[in-house]
Amino acid sequence: MNAGLLTPATERFLKGAAGVLVLVALWQASVPLVGLEPYFYPSPADVWHAFVELMEKGILPVYLVDSLYRYLLGVGLGIVLGIAAGLLIGLSATASRILTPLINFLFAIVEVAWIPIFVIWFGYGFKTILIALVYVVLFPLLYNTLLGVRTVPQVYVNAARSLGATRLQLIKDVILPAALPNIITGLRVGAGFAFRGLIFAEIIAAKTGIGYLIFEGASTQQTARTIVGMIVMGLLWLFLDRCYLKPIERVTIERWGQVTTAEDRE
Amino acid sequence: MTTTQTTDTKIRLDAVRLEYVKEEGRSRHLAVESISLDIRDKEFLVVVGPSGCGKSTLISAIAGFLKPTGGHITMDGREITRPGADRGVVFQEYALLPWKRVIDNVALGLKFKGVPKAERYATARRFLAITNLADAEQKFPHELSGGMKQRAAVARTLANAPEVMLMDEPFAAVDAQTRMTLQEELVRVWEQARLTVLFVTHSVEEAVFLGDRVVVLTPGPGRIKSIVDVSIPRARRNWQEMNQDPEFIRLRDEVLVQVRGQPVAA
Repeated sequence: MNAGLLTPATERFLKGAAGVLVLVALWQASVPLVGLEPYFYPSPADVWHAFVELMEKGILPVYLVDSLYRYLLGVGLGIVLGIAAGLLIGLSATASRILTPLINFLFAIVEVAWIPIFVIWFGYGFKTILIALVYVVLFPLLYNTLLGVRTVPQVYVNAARSLGATRLQLIKDVILPAALPNIITGLRVGAGFAFRGLIFAEIIAAKTGIGYLIFEGASTQQTARTIVGMIVMGLLWLFLDRCYLKPIERVTIERWGQVTTAEDRE
Repeated sequence: MTTTQTTDTKIRLDAVRLEYVKEEGRSRHLAVESISLDIRDKEFLVVVGPSGCGKSTLISAIAGFLKPTGGHITMDGREITRPGADRGVVFQEYALLPWKRVIDNVALGLKFKGVPKAERYATARRFLAITNLADAEQKFPHELSGGMKQRAAVARTLANAPEVMLMDEPFAAVDAQTRMTLQEELVRVWEQARLTVLFVTHSVEEAVFLGDRVVVLTPGPGRIKSIVDVSIPRARRNWQEMNQDPEFIRLRDEVLVQVRGQPVAA
């Protein structure tokens, strides 16, 4: 009935918002029906009050900044190390033989298993969380970079070499860009892993952050705080996905027209 | 099949034997048994033969992608051991880098040499004009037709000012009409660039149309069956005239008989 008045994007947003509102309304309506204590089943109003309180006391902004800082630094370091290791293993047969068994073994030990020993070595807090995040991000980046490097079409390498490329120029102008679609796949996987890893590490090894808020709220029967933490976590991930992962994909893969090697072969 | 050393020999193949290891297996495939051939400075030499005669492998060896398992390949008396900018290659699958615009592809060799951006773009534009691609410089390779991609690949090779241009069935993947246009353009472009060309094809017509000399290879493993001189003046090398040229028709039929392995009509 409002067709023509709204842009498709606005309409989509309004419909999405309507879904959320209906869910919140049902939740609020269910509270008297369930009839349990707020610490067991808090209402949306309780959650809102917890949110306002956490903002007024300055707790939530600090936790959010802490979580974001840990996340971005951990992911950033993991990306750099993962790409570097993937390149090294992909380009050097010796490095591949020495490192591949080791890396396959380490990959099998999930980061959750490392966190207790990281806590012993590095204590609770920043260092342990950072190292856990780097660890989580490293492997998907490494494997996907490696895959990308190993599947660079030989004809691109040959073309660049007969145009006079040095080894370094070959890596910079051919191998890295050719591997970029794979690297971005690794980035998406790693970013998702790292986000879960962050919440988990904060639950175990932190005294601040969104993960800590979720855990601490529940263990002190401030359940509304836990739900605030969960909602913030969801919004944070949507924000990171929209503002940082999607645009990277757009400017690389999409601009080359979903380029695959098959396109050039007839 | 004489290999008398003349002063204007550019590339000399001396009893060259070429094998390559097949992709999956460990088996070695003999591509070229023994070829001795002098490629003269500034000539347009075409090698023609049925598929599997090792003609593309020959290009790979001269380009330096593949080491001979017997004999020697020299350029200006020096052994060829690796790819280099002195030998430009035009590949059947174009090998344009999909993440670079046409102008950056064409300027790539100059970038590798450290030529400043303004200067290498000026050179690239000159060769894009020669190859009728002036309007396409800002496009990405996937936006080009097959014929335009191959023009861009030729422009990229020529812009890098190689001493020798190696062309590996460059027009095999484009449609018949485009192929004829590209052949005529190549004649014209070569008139301007005047460099040594080794052109490999399975098309007899193409070989006689383009070449100063046509080398016929036997079916694999390749050896030289005969060398045919084509002394049709360059000015007549367009399809309108060539189709009716008795000399062209005679030479084409002669080479065709050689390629098909039937006894040579006296």
